[in-house]
Amino acid sequence: MIAISLMRFVRVPISALSPSLMLAAMIGASCIANAQNVGPLPVFPEEATPIGALPPMALPMPASRDQNYWGLRLQAGQRQERSGPENLLAFAGGIDYQLRGGSIFGLTGGYQRRQNCESTGSDCGGHALFGLRGRFNVVTGGPTIASIVGDESATSTLGTEIGFGYAPRVSPGVNACTLDVGLPYSIAMLQSVRVVPFITPGAVWDINCSSAQASSGRSFLLGFGIGLQQLGMRGLDVNIGAQRIFRRSTGLQLGISVSWVRLP
Amino acid sequence: MIGSLDSQFTIIRSARIVARAGMCVLAISAAAGCHHRVTLQELPADQIETTLFLIGDAGEPDPRQVGAPLDSLTAQASVAPERTIIVFLGDNVYPGGIPAEGAAEWADARRRLEAQVKAIPPGARGIFVPGNHDWGNEGPFGLYSIRLQEQLISSLAQGRNVRLLPTNGCPGPVSVDVGRLRLVALDTQWWLHSFIVRDSTSRCSSPTIAAVTAEVRREVRPPGEGRVVFVAGHHPLMTGGLHGGYCGVTGPLRRFGGLSQDILSSANKTMRDSLRSAFTGQPPLAYVAGHDHTLQVLRGGRNVNYVLVSGAGSASKTECSVKLRESYYNTQHRSGFMRVDIMKGKGVLLRVFRYPAPRSGALAYTRWLEPR
Repeated sequence: MIAISLMRFVRVPISALSPSLMLAAMIGASCIANAQNVGPLPVFPEEATPIGALPPMALPMPASRDQNYWGLRLQAGQRQERSGPENLLAFAGGIDYQLRGGSIFGLTGGYQRRQNCESTGSDCGGHALFGLRGRFNVVTGGPTIASIVGDESATSTLGTEIGFGYAPRVSPGVNACTLDVGLPYSIAMLQSVRVVPFITPGAVWDINCSSAQASSGRSFLLGFGIGLQQLGMRGLDVNIGAQRIFRRSTGLQLGISVSWVRLP
Repeated sequence: MIGSLDSQFTIIRSARIVARAGMCVLAISAAAGCHHRVTLQELPADQIETTLFLIGDAGEPDPRQVGAPLDSLTAQASVAPERTIIVFLGDNVYPGGIPAEGAAEWADARRRLEAQVKAIPPGARGIFVPGNHDWGNEGPFGLYSIRLQEQLISSLAQGRNVRLLPTNGCPGPVSVDVGRLRLVALDTQWWLHSFIVRDSTSRCSSPTIAAVTAEVRREVRPPGEGRVVFVAGHHPLMTGGLHGGYCGVTGPLRRFGGLSQDILSSANKTMRDSLRSAFTGQPPLAYVAGHDHTLQVLRGGRNVNYVLVSGAGSASKTECSVKLRESYYNTQHRSGFMRVDIMKGKGVLLRVFRYPAPRSGALAYTRWLEPR
């Protein structure tokens, strides 16, 4: 919090800060927040909706501009180390629509439940979760990354994404709604199986959608992982990702996503 | 401080878990995907019926030396020139095609074309397909520039079988039959040109887009069994390069540029849709093009089996390209060409050569092209 407050008052444009400085500031903010953790542990809206419940993924692989592509997606994520024995386990499925080989729009539906909740005496029930997401590749480049990684087919992509998440009855009388934005960045390399390390920094807003609880504002988040695209089949991708929300007691999420795109 | 260390340790540990899991899956998939590259020596020369070399955008040769792609192409074509066809896939003269004789740029434009005509060994057949730069860099002089190029190629060929196709600024299609091969040449810039595309001396058999489409439909259906149909035009049907809306600022923003040379423009889409509709029901084995200065082998989709982009003929003009989901092979910032061997009986072998050659050699990719 201190680091973010400092950033507010320093009169330097955000774009002028190096990514590493931003990362350090976010990690620092999270750590200070963790140290202040007290009391029972609710499921925060950021954890309950797809942005925090499900693992991050690499940017979509580009495709022909002459086609629109339908895809299916299965995801599983576990959020652990939440200042207690409880974990959050989520499963979801989704459909994606890739417009003219570029931007991708997805619908997600899933279920999240608590694990190891018996010892804490809390309600072990789960809740559904739903999400809408748009991801847009903005800038791609090749030569610098290609020479760094020593692969002439390597390219890097900077994208942007926006998502809306909804999870009803996260706790009695409380629904969760979130809006998130992000700036995913990925590097794709190798010819047959495309190996795609990625990082997905972003911010998520708890937009209060139930009268029982006040909005808790904004949190930063950072996801990263590795995607394997065209894994044996041209349309099959697997992503393994981790994510941290820089809010106290939200722990770390690890998960896997498997997606399949139908090629004409 | 302790909290900070804990947090960093957690991130590093989870990064290790992610990396380890990724490497496991990668190792399994790499083992499954191993393939053998067919070298030049392994292919029995007496089993080759026709060899097709595909090189595009070669119109900026180094004035001081013969570049590696042209040099290597000539060496390979010289082995059996009588069964060899070399196709130059457009943009044969950068930047503005052949100017009127007497213009300051004329001598250098001639030099650029001469370097390519000279690369065709005696006995081999050469076909030049027009590109947008050959049409006076898409300018009002374009139709006349393309006719001047046709005349100059005939003059430089000195009676050899080296031609610009289609002729006289016409859109084509023009078919060349050699054994099982039918090569259909198109002038795709004719579709996209914003200035005059015909005049009183034009004698084009297909003067309208509808007529060209209908004729392409007929030409990609040659009589006979086991025919191998290649369609050659300058503009690709699909590309992960700059003209495909990749590299640099990508599609969502580039779309607003409206450049007819780009895949995202409506004029370009109209051309591609017309060609794809002509291919419906009888997909050619491959549509071959240049335009993007890269080497790409792509899965063609419903109406064409493969799309080959071989526009890396000039070492000084190589560019970025992105591997698409349809890509079998993709390289960027390398010059090179493609070689297609049509075997006697059955089998069509594609090989991609790129330069500068790494220690493993210039042969970067091989694939047997089969109808899907």
